[in-house]
Amino acid sequence: MRRLKAVLKKEFAHVFRDPVSLSIVLVMPVLMVLIYGYAINFDLGEIKTGVVDFCRSQSSGMLLKKFAHNRYYTLVDLTGPRPVQTGEQMLREGSLHQYLIIPADFSRKWHGEGPAVIGAVIDGSDSNVANLVVQYNQRMAADFGKADPAGQRIISLDTKIFFNPELKSSYFFVPGIVALILIMISAFLTALSVAREKEAGSIDLIFLSPLTSGEIIAGKTIPYLLIGLICESIILLFAHFWYQIPFRGGVLILFVFSILYILSGLSMGILIATVTTSQKAALFVVFLITLLPTIMLSGFIFPLDSLGPVIRSLSRVVPATYFLRIIRGVILKGAALKHFLLEGAVLLFFSIGFIGISMKRFGHIRRRGR
Amino acid sequence: MRILYLLKKEFTEILRQKELLPLVFIAPLIQIVILGYVVRTDITRIPIQVVNRSQSPVALELCNRIEATPCFQVRKTGRPGGTDSYREVLKRGEVAAVVVFRDKTGRRPFGLPRIQILMDGVDSNTSAIAAGYLSGIIRQYLREEVSRRGMNFPLDFQNLIRFNPDLRSINYMGPGMVGLLLTILTLFLTSVSIVREREQQTMDTLLMSPLRPIEIYLGKALPMAIIGLIQMAVGVVTVILWFRIPVRGNLWYLCLSGLVFLPAILSYALLISTLVRSQQQALFFSWFSMITFILLSGMFTPVANIPSSLRWIADINPIRYLIQIIREIFLKGNGIEYFYRDLLILAGITAGVVTLSLLNFRRFISR
Repeated sequence: MRRLKAVLKKEFAHVFRDPVSLSIVLVMPVLMVLIYGYAINFDLGEIKTGVVDFCRSQSSGMLLKKFAHNRYYTLVDLTGPRPVQTGEQMLREGSLHQYLIIPADFSRKWHGEGPAVIGAVIDGSDSNVANLVVQYNQRMAADFGKADPAGQRIISLDTKIFFNPELKSSYFFVPGIVALILIMISAFLTALSVAREKEAGSIDLIFLSPLTSGEIIAGKTIPYLLIGLICESIILLFAHFWYQIPFRGGVLILFVFSILYILSGLSMGILIATVTTSQKAALFVVFLITLLPTIMLSGFIFPLDSLGPVIRSLSRVVPATYFLRIIRGVILKGAALKHFLLEGAVLLFFSIGFIGISMKRFGHIRRRGR
Repeated sequence: MRILYLLKKEFTEILRQKELLPLVFIAPLIQIVILGYVVRTDITRIPIQVVNRSQSPVALELCNRIEATPCFQVRKTGRPGGTDSYREVLKRGEVAAVVVFRDKTGRRPFGLPRIQILMDGVDSNTSAIAAGYLSGIIRQYLREEVSRRGMNFPLDFQNLIRFNPDLRSINYMGPGMVGLLLTILTLFLTSVSIVREREQQTMDTLLMSPLRPIEIYLGKALPMAIIGLIQMAVGVVTVILWFRIPVRGNLWYLCLSGLVFLPAILSYALLISTLVRSQQQALFFSWFSMITFILLSGMFTPVANIPSSLRWIADINPIRYLIQIIREIFLKGNGIEYFYRDLLILAGITAGVVTLSLLNFRRFISR
C-alpha cells in the first residue's frame, strides 16, 4: 500500500508537472465535442433542386409552389434553350442535388386518367443523400396527392418515434463522440506515459525498484482514470447544456460503466506501449487501432446490423461497440443497469484482459530487458 | 544539389525504423479492405419486430413482403402488447422498430389494416431510411392493387439516378478512404520527425550547414511525399480492384491532384512543428488536427451540413478538397475543368501555410 502510494505520487507529479499537456488534455475534448457535435450530422439542410417545367400550367405551378414552400427545397428555375442540358451540367458540377422534369402532358394526366409522372434526375454519388432526396420527393408527392379530392389518404402510416421524435442527428452523434473521445484520450495518455519512460530509460529505474508489475500498472492507470472521468464529466455537461441532449437515465450507472470503458482504454494504451519501441510508433498504433475502428466498427456512424458476419465479429472486439450501446441507452432511452449486464461484463473482461496481458509483458521486459 | 544529401539522410532515417515501415505500409491496406466493407451506408438487416393482430389477407401479404426485403430482418413476430411493452423492447435495443397491424379486419380502402410503426429514433438516419423503406413497401403494394383495378396513382415520381445508379455507398466512400490514409501518414510522421531533430538538438547541426530553412523542410517533406504517392497508388489500385469501383475519369488527374494535395498536408505538418515545443505536443497537435480534418472532410457527412460558423475549418482542410476531387474523377468522370478551382485552392493553402510556418520558423529556431 505504501509503495502504491509512492508510485501514485510520482505519476501525479508527472501529470501536474506539465500544465500545458494537462490543459490540452482537458480542453481538447471540449473543442472536439463542440466542433464535431455541430459538424457531423446527417440532417439534410437543403435540397437544391433544378426545375424544368415543360407544362407551364396551373397544376404544375401549384406543384412547384408546394415544393417552394417546403423548407427543405431550394428551387432553381432552369430556363434557356436547353434546360435539361443545363440541369445535367449543374448536377455534374455538384451545384444541384437533383432536377425535376415536368412533362408537357402533366396537367392533362393530373386532371385525367393519370398517372402524372414527374422525372427526378438525382446525383447519386453520395448514396446517403440520394436516398434522402428520393424519400423527401415521395413525401412531397404523397402530400400533393392528399390535396386531390380523389384522396390518397389511404397511405396514412401511423408512425411513432420514441426517444428522438424529431430525429435529430445530434442525439445520435453526441453520445458517440463522448465514446470516441474517451477511448482515444485514455489509450493516448497511458501509451504516451509508458512509451516516454521507455524512451527516456527511466522505466529501468522503476523496474529496479521493489515494485511489482501490478503496482506499476496501477500507478499508471489510477491518475489517468481520474483525468478520464473529469474529461467525461466536462463533455457530458456540454452535451446536456449546449446540445440539449436529454439525460433520461441514471448518471451514476453511466459512470460505473464509464470506469470500465476508460480502464479498457488505459490498459490498451499500456499494452501498446509495451510492445512498441518509440513514442512515435506507440502513438501511431494507438491512432490506428482506436480512431478508425471506433468510428467505423462500433456503430458510431454505420449501423452494426447492416455489416456482414465477418466484419460483425470484428466489431465485437472494439470496446466502443459496447459502451456506445450503454451510453445511448442510458442517456437517451433511460435504460437501467439490468439492460446492460452483458455489455458491462464484456467491458470488464476487456479491461481485466488488457491489464493481465500488459502485466505479463511488463514482467517479460523486466526479466529480458527491452 | 546539396538537398540530395539531405534526402539521403532522411531516407536512411525512415528506412532504419524497422518497426514503423510495416505499420506505415501494411496496416493502412488492411484497414482499407476492412473499412471498405463497413462503409456501406446501405441499410440492410435492420432488426424489426412485426406484430400482426389483423387477420386480413392484406396484412399477411404485407408481412411477407417486409420479411422478403433485405432491408429488414424480422426478429420476432411476437405477441401483441400495449405501447408500453413495445417501448420496453425498443429500450432494450433488441429491435429498431416495431410494426403493428392494428385492426382485425381491413375496413379501409383496399382492405388495408391500420398500420402503426414504432421506431427507435436514436439512430436518426437509419430510422428515417427504414421508415422510408417501410412506407415504400406499402406504397408499392398499393400501386399494384390500384393498377390491378385499372386505376392510376394521380402523381408519381420517376427517378433517374446519375453517377451511381445502384446507390452503392462503397463507390462513394472507397475513393475517399485513400485520402484519409495519406493524411494519417504524412501529417503525423513529418511533424514528429521535424520536432525530434530539435529535441535531440540535431536541428542545430542542420542549421549550421549551408542549408536554408526551406531546404531543411523540403528534405523532411519530400521523402514523405514520395512514400505518400506510392501509398496512394497502392491504395487506389486496391480500392479499384478489390471493391470493383468504377473509374470514369482519367487516373492521371488523380495523380496530379495527389501531387497538389501532398504539399498542402505536409505544410500543415511544418506549421505544427513550428508551433510546439516537444515531440509529445507535436503528437497531440497532429492528432487533434488529423481527427478534425478527417471528420470534417465530407467523407462521412456532407460538407454542406457543417454550420457556417465552422465552415472555415472545412475551407482550410486539404482533405476535403482531395476527397471532392477524387469523387468527381471516380464517379462523375469529370475533367480538370470541373475541379481546377479546387486544385488552385490547395496550392493557395500550401503557399499560405508554408509562409506562416517560415515566419514562425525563425522564432522557432531562435528559442
